[in-house]
Amino acid sequence: MRFAEVSGPLLIEDIALDPRAIQILACGNTLRGDDGVGSRIAALLEASPPSEGMRVTFTAQLLPEHAELVSAADQVIFFDCSALTPAGTISVLPVEPAANSPTSFTHYLDPAMLLRLAQDLYGRTPAGATLITIGGESFEMNEELSSSVTAAIPEALDAVRLVCTAREHEKHQ
Amino acid sequence: MAAYQMSPASAVLEHKEINLSQTLTIDPVTRLEGHGKITLKTNEQGEVSEAFFSVTQVRGFEKFCEGRPFYEMPAIMARICGICPVSHLIASAKACEEIMAVTIPPTAAKLRRALNLAQTVQSHALSFFYLASPDLLLGMDADPAQRNIFGVASARPELGRAGIGLRRFGQHIIELLGHKRIHAGWITPGGVTEPLSPAKRDEILASIPEAYANIRLALAWYKTVADGFREEIEHFANFPGPFLGMVGDDGGLEFTDGKLRLIDAEGNVLLDKLEASHFEDYFGEAVEPYSYMKFPYYKPLGYPEGSYRVGPLARLNIASHAGTPLADVEMKEFKQLAHGPVLGSFFYHYARLIDILHGIEMIEQIFSDPTILDTQVRATAGVNRLEGSGFAEAPRGTLLHHYKVDENGQIAWANLIIATGQNNNAMNRGVLQAAQRYVHGDQIPEGMLNRVEAVIRTFDPCLSCSTHAYGQMPLIVTLVGPDGGTLDEVRRG
Repeated sequence: MRFAEVSGPLLIEDIALDPRAIQILACGNTLRGDDGVGSRIAALLEASPPSEGMRVTFTAQLLPEHAELVSAADQVIFFDCSALTPAGTISVLPVEPAANSPTSFTHYLDPAMLLRLAQDLYGRTPAGATLITIGGESFEMNEELSSSVTAAIPEALDAVRLVCTAREHEKHQ
Repeated sequence: MAAYQMSPASAVLEHKEINLSQTLTIDPVTRLEGHGKITLKTNEQGEVSEAFFSVTQVRGFEKFCEGRPFYEMPAIMARICGICPVSHLIASAKACEEIMAVTIPPTAAKLRRALNLAQTVQSHALSFFYLASPDLLLGMDADPAQRNIFGVASARPELGRAGIGLRRFGQHIIELLGHKRIHAGWITPGGVTEPLSPAKRDEILASIPEAYANIRLALAWYKTVADGFREEIEHFANFPGPFLGMVGDDGGLEFTDGKLRLIDAEGNVLLDKLEASHFEDYFGEAVEPYSYMKFPYYKPLGYPEGSYRVGPLARLNIASHAGTPLADVEMKEFKQLAHGPVLGSFFYHYARLIDILHGIEMIEQIFSDPTILDTQVRATAGVNRLEGSGFAEAPRGTLLHHYKVDENGQIAWANLIIATGQNNNAMNRGVLQAAQRYVHGDQIPEGMLNRVEAVIRTFDPCLSCSTHAYGQMPLIVTLVGPDGGTLDEVRRG
C-alpha cells in the first residue's frame, strides 16, 4: 500500500489485544555480573514457557516503545535484578501505573512509569502487573552470575509460574 | 534531571583561562544522546559574550582497537553507540573492504542500504518524537515536568503512538536482518553474513503501510506547529556556512554508497564526488581545551571558518532531489523555505521527517526488488592494501572510518570522523546565538534555558559517538579564588 492510500494513523483498536497474553519484560545488562540474570531468566522462560500465551522480551532497559507491548497484554511481569534487596532473595511486588508523570525523562522508564505511558498512549494497561526481582551480589564488569543469584534462579522461575497461575485463577472466578 | 547552576567567577572553573564576570552553567544538558555541558560567559554588562558546549566524557575507541585484526573492526566499532551502530558497521566494513580491495555483491549492497535506512528511521523517530516533540507540542515555556514524552502522550497520544510505531518499524527490520535490535553483527567485511529469506522480506513489506501512515501524521502535524516557532527559527543556529553530506551519482539523496559534496551558504559546490580515501586531503580536525569532542573543518577555509554542518539539514541542502516520489514532493516544499540552502538549524527537525519518509520509500523499493533474495552476498579476501577508509551517512550526518594495518592485517592506527563532531562548531555558534537572544543578566527563566538546550537538540547530537581523543587531549583546569585570581592550574597536552 502506498502513502496516499493510507487512511490515517495507527489507531488504538488496530493494536491486537490478546486476552491470554502474558508479557514478560526481563531487564538487565549481561556485562554487569548479576544484572545479567534477566537475560538468563528470559532465555529459560522462552525455552520452557509456563503459559501458552507467554511472550518473552529481554531488554537492557524499559523504553517508551515497550508501552505498546504491555498495553496489548492481559498480564505483564517485569523481571529485574535488585541492587537493594539481599543477594539471592526473591521479591514479588504488584505494580500500578504511576499516579503522576515523571518530572524528568530521557530514555528509560521504571515499570510504573511504563504502565502510565501505556495508559496515556493506548488507553489501557494489563489487568495484572507484577515486578519480580532477584537481589544481586555483584555488578562488576563480567558476564558471570554470582553463586547466590544462580542458586535463586529456580525460585525466581517458580515465582513467575505462581504469578501466572494466580492470574488464571483470578480470570476464572 | 537538569540542574541549573549559576556560579560566580570565584567558583571552581573547569575551562581554560576565563576572566569571567559571571559563568552560567547548564549541566547536564537533557534530552540528548549522552551528556554534555554548556557554559555561557557574560561580560560586565551582563550580556552573553561566549558559549562553550562541552562534552565531558572520553571513550578511546581509536586507541584500544590498535593491534586487533582488521576484520574485527566492524563488530568492535559498532559498540561505540547503541543508537547508530549500523552506520558504524557500514563505514567500518567499507574501510575494511578497501583493505581487502574487494567489491561487495550488489545484493549485499542493497541489504546494507536498507539496514542503514531502517536505522535512520528509528533513530530519527527517537529524536523527533521522544526528545524534540515535547518542545514543539507543549511550547518552550511549558512546565518542564510536562515537557517530555509523558506530556506528549497526554496531550496528543496519536503522536506518541506514531513515534513508537516508527521506532518499531526501523528496529524490527534491524532485528530481522541482523538478529539483534542493537549491535547487530550481520554486516561484515565483504558484505553480509547471510542472505534474506522470503519470509523476512514479506514481513518487512507488510509493515510498510503503517510506517507511511505514521510519518504522514508527523509531517502534517509538524507543518501545523512550525509557524509558531518563528523566533526559534530565526535564532536557533541560523547562520551562513558550508554543508557536507553524501549524494548519489545523480546528485540525489544517498545514505550508504555515494560520494561527498560540500556546498557553501549560497549553494555553490565547493567540493564534489569526494571519495573517503581523499577526505583527509581536504578536511582537518581541530581540538579545543573545553571539550573532548573534535572540531573538523574544511582545510581551504581554515579553522574555524571552515567549520560546516552535516546531518539531515545538510543532506537536503546538498542533494538536488530525494529520488523517491513522496520525499521528492516534500523536498521541493522544503527547498522553498529559502533561496538557496536552508540555514536555520531549527529545520533539522523537518529534514529528519523527510529523511524518514525517504527511508520508508527506499526500503519498500529495495524489498520489492526480486534480486534482494539472491544468495551471493559476501566477497572474501585477505589483506591487499595497508590502508582503507569508508563512510556512510549516519542519522546525524557523515561518518568516516579510516584504518591503517600492518602486513598481517592488524590495526596499526585508526581515526573516526563522527557526525556530531562535524556539527560541533555549529552547535557552539548556535548556543551563543540563542543565548545572546534569550539570556540577559544573571537570571535565566526556565523557558530561556530550554531554548539554549533546544538549539543543541536540533542537531540531535550523539555524544557517545563523538568523544574520541585525537592525540593528546589538551585540557586546562583553572582554579580561581574569591578575588578572581588563579590559585592553581593543571595543563595536559
